[in-house]
Amino acid sequence: MTAAATLPGAGRPRRLGRALPSAFWALILLTPAFVSLASVSFYPIVNGLYLSLTNTSLITQDQDFTGFANYVQLWGDPQFWNAWWHTLWFTTASTVLETVIGLGMALILCEAFKGRGLVRAAMLVPWAMPTVVTSKMFGWLFDGQNGIINYILLHAGLIDQNINWYGSTSTAMITIIIADVWKTTPFMALLLLTGLQTVPNSLIEAARMDGAKGWITFWHIRLPLLMPTLLIAGLFRALDAFRVFDLVYVLTGGGPADSTETLSTLSYKVLFSTLQFGYGSAVSTAMFITEGIIALVFVVYLIRQIRRAQ
Amino acid sequence: MTDMKKRPTADAKPVGHVTIADRRQFLIGSAGLLGAAALGAGTSLGMGRARAQSRAEISFASAAFFGKETFGDLIKAFNESQDRVLVKNIELPPPSSSTEVYQGLVQQLARRNGTPDVFSQDVIWIAGFAAAGWALPLDEYFPADKRSAYFTGTLDACTYGGKLTALPWFMDSGMFYYRKDVLEKHGKVPETWADMATIAAAAQKAGDIDFGYLWQGKQAEVLVCDAVEIITSNNGAILAPDGKSSLINQKGAVEAIQFLHDTIATTKISPQDVLSWDEEPSRQPFTSGKAMFMRNWSYVYPIAQDAKASQVVDKVGVAPLPSFPGGKSSACLGGYQLGVNANSKQREAAIELLTWLSSTETQHRIALNFGLAPTRPALFQDEQIKKEQPFMASLENVFTGATARPKTPQYAKVTLALQSGISKALVSGNVQAEMDALADQITKIVA
Repeated sequence: MTAAATLPGAGRPRRLGRALPSAFWALILLTPAFVSLASVSFYPIVNGLYLSLTNTSLITQDQDFTGFANYVQLWGDPQFWNAWWHTLWFTTASTVLETVIGLGMALILCEAFKGRGLVRAAMLVPWAMPTVVTSKMFGWLFDGQNGIINYILLHAGLIDQNINWYGSTSTAMITIIIADVWKTTPFMALLLLTGLQTVPNSLIEAARMDGAKGWITFWHIRLPLLMPTLLIAGLFRALDAFRVFDLVYVLTGGGPADSTETLSTLSYKVLFSTLQFGYGSAVSTAMFITEGIIALVFVVYLIRQIRRAQ
Repeated sequence: MTDMKKRPTADAKPVGHVTIADRRQFLIGSAGLLGAAALGAGTSLGMGRARAQSRAEISFASAAFFGKETFGDLIKAFNESQDRVLVKNIELPPPSSSTEVYQGLVQQLARRNGTPDVFSQDVIWIAGFAAAGWALPLDEYFPADKRSAYFTGTLDACTYGGKLTALPWFMDSGMFYYRKDVLEKHGKVPETWADMATIAAAAQKAGDIDFGYLWQGKQAEVLVCDAVEIITSNNGAILAPDGKSSLINQKGAVEAIQFLHDTIATTKISPQDVLSWDEEPSRQPFTSGKAMFMRNWSYVYPIAQDAKASQVVDKVGVAPLPSFPGGKSSACLGGYQLGVNANSKQREAAIELLTWLSSTETQHRIALNFGLAPTRPALFQDEQIKKEQPFMASLENVFTGATARPKTPQYAKVTLALQSGISKALVSGNVQAEMDALADQITKIVA
């Protein structure tokens, strides 16, 4: 074995190289990676796409090719569009809030102060918690009867009676967004912090010498240089937020009156409660396409940014 | 296998290290191992064949319930009680993960290979399994005289398309909890919804209680249960008798849903929070003494009587849910019922297990050891059950009114539509409009 491993350096490759074109050799080496990727990521996507063109259902035992019938049904399905808009609203609101607050946190953590290392580590605690735990915790915090949020607001005189956060269509989604912001902002802050640290100090010092104040240094030096990081972090966050499931599933189950139904919870219900694999796959595919569009928008901006920088 | 792997490596090693004695010992050792393995395989094969000849091997799948024992112990007891059938227990997730239990069962049954031979099913899956042809009709094995020993509501839920496709096992239903001490001051146990609302409002106004009536309005399965009860108690229905259209926008159903909306908006006997509450959040204020009336399942009673968890020990009573004038009290039926796989290759053995599981003796044992209520009314008169589960003995009249949820193979789709539509009506208050839309949607699903 060892002999076989050490020998090739000397004679073998030249002999093999003559027998096989070098491109072929590269392909062989790539095969294991390609096969594993294809089987765990490419095949499921293709199979999902195929399922979305059939009326597969475990209950009725149908499995016929129906073309675009599922997509036609989807187009006219108010439940789907309801969930689509909610998901988009959730994604936009949580991503924007998390980016802005995360940037603020990153700017503070970038400065040198006592105990910075500790704060940086402690900051990640919310992000490290399992989402189901976060959900339960926020369930209690925002409980309509005994929740501490109501207690504080009531005693501060900001509201005159308890708000039923999860039971009202006007507040349920907002509460879920708050929970998500609490949980994921640290992650954004950390990504942006690494970005901030790549901004050369010399530039900031030069600006200071020229008399630029804090705000101007931020606006004209740090922010433009941070833009690529900001876009990549935003892209990650938006794609992740678009798949929101646990918070909704634990806190409201999509209610009240479908006001917190998102695409993930809807496709879960269609796929696994009603076992309509065909239609459920169509919902998932629509979700996949929307995510693709979101990613495309971010990437276009990102490329433009990079081109401008060059 | 291990021997085969070992030998070549031992041989490939430089001979210098291995003495002849070592080698001999190794060979003897491996021969011994091989022999032992052969012997082991031989005996286990032989035993298996012997067992298969005398006992029919079948499998039983069920959601995992726990009590003083498990369903595994139950199956063990059956295996020991006779020598004709040997049952393998397939444990599915607990009933709290009922979506996963459902998936697990459907995947098994859809293979049509006869596994599991016998299974337990939530009442709402019965129609679907029957329509798919997975559940064996049981009429020939359980003629009318044998069926009369069960509650009629449960039998009705076990019947699809005129055929008995499931055998009643154990049940639960919605029930009306009240606070005896507060009710003494304000009247007697209400029999109509209007009386209930009046008493609740009076008690709330007098400051005896924070909430008059608690129920479950979360957009979830339990909302459908609450709705079935109140709609049926007003002679309404969700599906037409032929199951091909929806009656949820008819007068009976609309009035009932309107009543639920009014408990929050007009009479204010229920906090707005019920719209986001399922069973547990509504149970907590009740057992901490804040509420007068509550609709919930039977699991609440033992908690209410537990001094560690409850502030209302000995102050809680249970009654059938109220009804509308001219209607009859109705309780949404829950629980798991038994079925036989239509593709089972061991039908006789499966029926034997089924009969044993649903027998008076086994239901008695399940009542005592799991706290799950029998589907045979006669057992509620049993002295031992009365003594050990005093609460259960008082449930007979509640269970008599047990009503099945809509019986349709499309139940999974219907319930999602119901949850969403009723939730919308309760939140917006446009009951008639929302029910019209909902009826259209359901009719489209079941037609």
